[in-house]
Formats: sequence, C-alpha cells, structure tokens
Amino acid sequence: MTRAALKSFRLWGLVPAWALMGLTLIIPVAIVAGVSLADRGPYGGFNWALNVSSYREILFTMGWTDELEFDPKYLVIIGRTLAYGLATTAICMALSVPVAYVIANARENWKPFLVYLVTLPFWVSMIVRVYAWLIILGNEGLAEKTWKFFGGGDVDTFLFTPGAMLTGMVYSYIPLMVLPVYAAIEKLDPALLEASHDLYGNRWTTLRRVILPLTWPGLAAGAILVFVPAIGTVLEPMLLGGGKQMMMGTLIQTQFGGGRNWPFGAAIAMVLMAMVVIVLVLNARRAAAIAREMEP
Amino acid sequence: MKKTLLTGTALICLAAPALAEGTLNIYAWSDSIAPELIEKFSAETGATVNYDGFNSNEDALTKLQAGASGYDIVTPSQHFVKIMIDEGLLEDIDAKDLDAYAAVDDRWKGQWWDPENDYSIPMAYGTAGFAVNRDLYDGPVDSWGVYFEPTEALQGKIASLSYPDEVVGAAQLYLGVEFCTEDKSEMKKVYDLLMAQKPYVAAYSSDNIENRLGSGEVAAHFWWDGNVLRTRDAGANLEYAMPKEGLVGWLDSYVVPKGAANVDMAKKFIEFMSTEENATIQYNYYAHSAPVKIDEASAKYTPENAPELFPTVPVEFSKACSPAAQDLVTKVWTDLLQ
Repeated sequence: MTRAALKSFRLWGLVPAWALMGLTLIIPVAIVAGVSLADRGPYGGFNWALNVSSYREILFTMGWTDELEFDPKYLVIIGRTLAYGLATTAICMALSVPVAYVIANARENWKPFLVYLVTLPFWVSMIVRVYAWLIILGNEGLAEKTWKFFGGGDVDTFLFTPGAMLTGMVYSYIPLMVLPVYAAIEKLDPALLEASHDLYGNRWTTLRRVILPLTWPGLAAGAILVFVPAIGTVLEPMLLGGGKQMMMGTLIQTQFGGGRNWPFGAAIAMVLMAMVVIVLVLNARRAAAIAREMEP
Repeated sequence: MKKTLLTGTALICLAAPALAEGTLNIYAWSDSIAPELIEKFSAETGATVNYDGFNSNEDALTKLQAGASGYDIVTPSQHFVKIMIDEGLLEDIDAKDLDAYAAVDDRWKGQWWDPENDYSIPMAYGTAGFAVNRDLYDGPVDSWGVYFEPTEALQGKIASLSYPDEVVGAAQLYLGVEFCTEDKSEMKKVYDLLMAQKPYVAAYSSDNIENRLGSGEVAAHFWWDGNVLRTRDAGANLEYAMPKEGLVGWLDSYVVPKGAANVDMAKKFIEFMSTEENATIQYNYYAHSAPVKIDEASAKYTPENAPELFPTVPVEFSKACSPAAQDLVTKVWTDLLQ
C-alpha cells in the first residue's frame, strides 16, 4: 500500500468505529448532559433549557424552613459511593493476587480450566447471582449455619448490612480483577525471582522490588475494571444492602423514578461520569509516564 | 437498483403494521394477570402477547414519559392515571363505549381521575397497609403505630417499600396529615416519624416481598391486601393489619399509551378481561378485588376466607399531588434515605 493510500485508509477505515462510538456513546452522553441542564417537568420529564440549578442542587437544597441552605447529603452519598468502590477494589486486589498466582503456577493443562472457572459466573445473569446471596446470607442460610457451626454467637441477620453489600460487590466484580492480574503474573519470568534471591533479596524484597513492579500494569487494569462498575452499582445496595443507604446509582434511579426530577438525576449521572473519566485520565497519564521511563 | 430499493422500502412499510397487528405488549404490575387468560386470549385472537412487569407506578410513568415505550396496555393506579391524562400520555379510547364499561361497578364510574371515562377501564382495586408474620410476632396490629413506632418485638424486623408513594400516605393517615399537603411543617412531621422508624427498618425494597415476609426474614412488611392473601393462601402464617387510622386505597386501570401500535388489540384485550367469566378467573388468580361484575358463585375469595379484601377500617384513596406537594414527598424520601 502506498503511503497516501495508507493515510486515507487510516481516516476512512475508522469511520465505522467512529459511527458506532457516536451513536452508542457520544450522542447518548450528550443527551444526558443536555437533560442535566434542562428544566424539570412537573411530573417527571423535562423541557429543554440552559439551567444549572440541577448542579446547584447537589450542594444547596431548600430546607424544611424554606430557605436555600448548604446541605451535604448528596456529597455524603458521593463520598459513600467512592468509599465502597475503593473498598471493593482493595478487597478484590488482595483476594485475586493469590488466586492468580495459583492459576499461573498450576499444571499447564489445568490452566485453561481454572481460567474458565473464574469466568463461569458471567454465564449467569447478574440479578440471579445477587439473589443467590440473599439465600446464602438470609435467615438460616449457609452463612449463618457456618457461623454457628464454628461457635459464633447468635446473629440477627447478615442481610441488609454494609457487609452484605460489600460481599456482593466483591463477588460480582472479582473476576474482572483476577484475569488481568493472572495475565501479568503468568508473564513474570521465574528467572527474575531467582536472580533476586541470588542477590540476597529475601521474600519481602522480592515481592516489593520485583513482583509488584512487574505485575503493576495488571493490577492497575484490574483496579479500573473493578472500580468503574463498582461506583455505578445499583443491584447490590438495593437487594443486599436493603436500600437503606443511597449510592449514586440508586440516587440516579430514584430521581428518574419516584423523585420525578430527571435533570437532577442527569446531573448526578454527569458527576458519576466525571469521576470515572478522572480515574481513567490519571491512569492513562501514569501509563504514559511508565512508558517514557522504559524508553532508553 | 432504484426499483429494488423502492420495493424494499414499500415492503418494510407494509410489513410493520402487519407485524404489529399480531402482537400485544402489556406492561402491568408483576404477576398481576392470570397466565391462563393470556394463553386463552392468544388462542382466541392469534395474537402474540408480551408481558412485562413493573413494581411501582413511578416506573410505569417514567417508561411512558421516556417515549416510544412500545406498550399497548399499561395498568397504573388512579392518581397516576390522572397524571398520565394531564401529561397527554394516554390514548382516548372512548372507554365508556366499550362493553367492558357496562360491567364496571357504578361506584368506579366518573371518578376524578377520569371524569368522562374516556381513557380507562378499572382492572382491580384494593388497599395498601402492612402485614405481619404471625410465627414471629403475636402482638396487636390495630394501629399504624405498631408499624411506624415499633415496640421491641418488631425492632429491626420491619421492611418498607423502596418508593414513597403509599408509605408516605400511610404515615399521613397515622399523623392525621392531609394527603398531598403543601404545608412544609406538616410534612416535616411525616419526615420525623419515618426518620425515627428508620433504625428499626431492615430494608426498603419493593421486590421479592413474599419471600422476605413469608420466610421470616422480617416480621412486618408494608404490602398490598391481595398479595398478603395470596401468600397466606400458599401457606405462610400472615395477617394483614387493619389499622384504625385507615388504609391507603388504590384502583388500577387498563389504559392505552398514546401512539400505541395496536389500539384495537388493546381494546379487544380489555373487553376480554372484563367478561364475567374471565374477570372471575382473574379475580381468583390475582386475589385483589374486582371492579367489574364477576360470577359470585365461582369466586374463590369471600369475606369469610379473605378478610384482607374486606377492610373494616376507613379507606382513603391516594391523590394526584401538585408538583409542590410531590416535591415535599420526594424530599421526605431522599432526606430519609440519604
């Protein structure tokens, strides 16, 4: 192919991809952004306008005494969502490193099967999987029986607690962490570990100076894959957390449903999206910095 | 080439209505229409019936407002029928000219939500209240105080709905606050009551109530009369409370969304559901009271075996609130669950 042809192919060859991105990503996001600036309809719905009151409402609301007051309630919800997202990511990371390590060091003919086991839950609908936890954590469920078998005291219920919610979130998203971490550990050259030991590096040093830096890209990719859906979660807080503490996902849902305030729901959705974009940008910059470092 | 394109387009245009003629898309409360009747309707008319369920009026309203829902029949409650009519979301189907209208009990005709009976045919009515699991709680259930200000026996064993609609109504009945009040200080009382109840509430969820209450995960649950009846009939030891302050009333109706693809089939379905024979089958399945004439002799539920359906306390129907009043209801709820 000539240079010119290649150049034009680069331009036109990507048209289908751009069209797909435009139709399924850019236009919908633009609509949500537009709705977040619209006037709310009296019974839900909206009228196009340019109105930032939905964003102001995140910080200031009408109090019970009829005056605009600073109200941190939505900030609390945003903070809580971030906290649960971070906790889910951290727990997934801690659990998936040993799992990935075992898979990477398993007998060669076992590996595909073990990887298949990790992805197996994805074959079942997410709602069904979360419902399964209702039974496990519920009254007289597996969790309670196991707890009592090992001499645990009387428990009222495991369900409808922050712990139940976190359990469900970790369970739902952990395969997204195991796979990239496994890919990173798999590529780790055992000779480097030996070299580290030969140079009198103990286990801790080897982990810190050799294993972690080399598997970091996998961990970072896994962290993003887990964190992003975790902060948008709706099912676990509603079903396992009992809907007692709002997360951003449930808040958005309430505003479009019972709250009948679509522009405000859209504004919260934009904030959520902004948070995701910030995480992705930070990661991209980090990756670029690492790539620069690697260059001779 | 041009010709093929034109023929192709023409064919698509012709095919679309033909396809629509054979399908009926229903959006109704989850498990609210007897599967037996849907099969029978399909067999009689040759139509393919698709059934989607919703768990709250708000969900139904949001779907219709989002536009092009693709549904031919929806079954919202009275206050949402009113909102949908006012918002221009419903098709005028001249309901009063349908045979089904003649079967409707007179007390449901010409009501405030559809004064000219243009848009809706009643489907079922009943009340919203709370039920207790008698295996877990043996105290009195004669007041909303039992539910909103629980004693130790029920603390941490209560569940509520995930939407404010009828829960706020019940709290208003208990406190003697008017439905749809625009008075902030009055609604603050409702908020204070619900906030004081919150530490004792295990979950705010409208899904899967029969399991939560039937299995004893919770001992008291906000719920609807007929659902309690059905679950009790299936063997759970439940009792539907008759609080002296009153129950929150509702009446669901068949309506046709504006721009529905198959208005004729929708009308046919409404007629079909409202015949005496089918209405009786529906009543026996759904276990909510029938607003149309049914065959009393083959009705499964009577005042003797179904006290849930025959309230002994006043019933106050939910109203369509003004936007200002609705904002207060929403504020109560988001402040409660923040």
